[in-house]
Amino acid sequence: MAQQRRAPAPPISGKYCEDHMPDYKDVEHIKKFLSAHGQIVSRKRSGYCTQCQKALKLAIKRARHMALLPFVG
Amino acid sequence: MEASAPAQEEKKDLMKTKTYESMVLLDNALVREDWKKAKAAVTDTLAKHGATVLTCRRFDEKKLAYPVKGRNRGTFVLCYFSLEKETMADIRRDWELNEKVLRSLILRVEEVPAKEHELAAAEDSADFVVPAPPPDDMVEEEEPVAEAAPADEIMVPDLNDIDLPSKG
Repeated sequence: MAQQRRAPAPPISGKYCEDHMPDYKDVEHIKKFLSAHGQIVSRKRSGYCTQCQKALKLAIKRARHMALLPFVG
Repeated sequence: MEASAPAQEEKKDLMKTKTYESMVLLDNALVREDWKKAKAAVTDTLAKHGATVLTCRRFDEKKLAYPVKGRNRGTFVLCYFSLEKETMADIRRDWELNEKVLRSLILRVEEVPAKEHELAAAEDSADFVVPAPPPDDMVEEEEPVAEAAPADEIMVPDLNDIDLPSKG
């Protein structure tokens, strides 16, 4: 029997993206989009649109550089 | 009608000047000495290279996600400044060479956020007191591994004393 796939997260509207634009200084917010190993979660799980997922990636990488977030674990 | 030459030059200068955001991670030892001195380590470098500091404030003091230059904790300073692009490399190099500056990040921004002015003004007021950083900012050195005992002290069992089960 094929494994049941997780239902994709509901798409976040543009309004949400505007209000929750990822910023490297807002560590508590962007920390939610890291897996247990410190990896950036996929767009499917984060629910962000394409542009905001890219902004999230950049924000996490900036936060990692400033030692606000871990690279691993 | 064309604008006069000085006005055009002035406009050109304004276009060249851009606003930047910088976050600097400072050593807590410097912050413990004197907060103003620590802040000056950031602002003086900017002023030295012709930048105009718009706002500068203490962002946070926290435990780092990983040790940086042997420190577990550090103080983050957030600055907004305007500058001509040519001197940016000098600022980066100065901060890299400064031992008290553990990390730095400079980003181009369109404008200074409105709340930054309020937060910086609150910090500049006389009531503001910088909380002293906790003492555990240095990474603990690993304990030296115990040396192996000399060969003559090692107990070697005598094989003749051991009763082995006889075969058959």
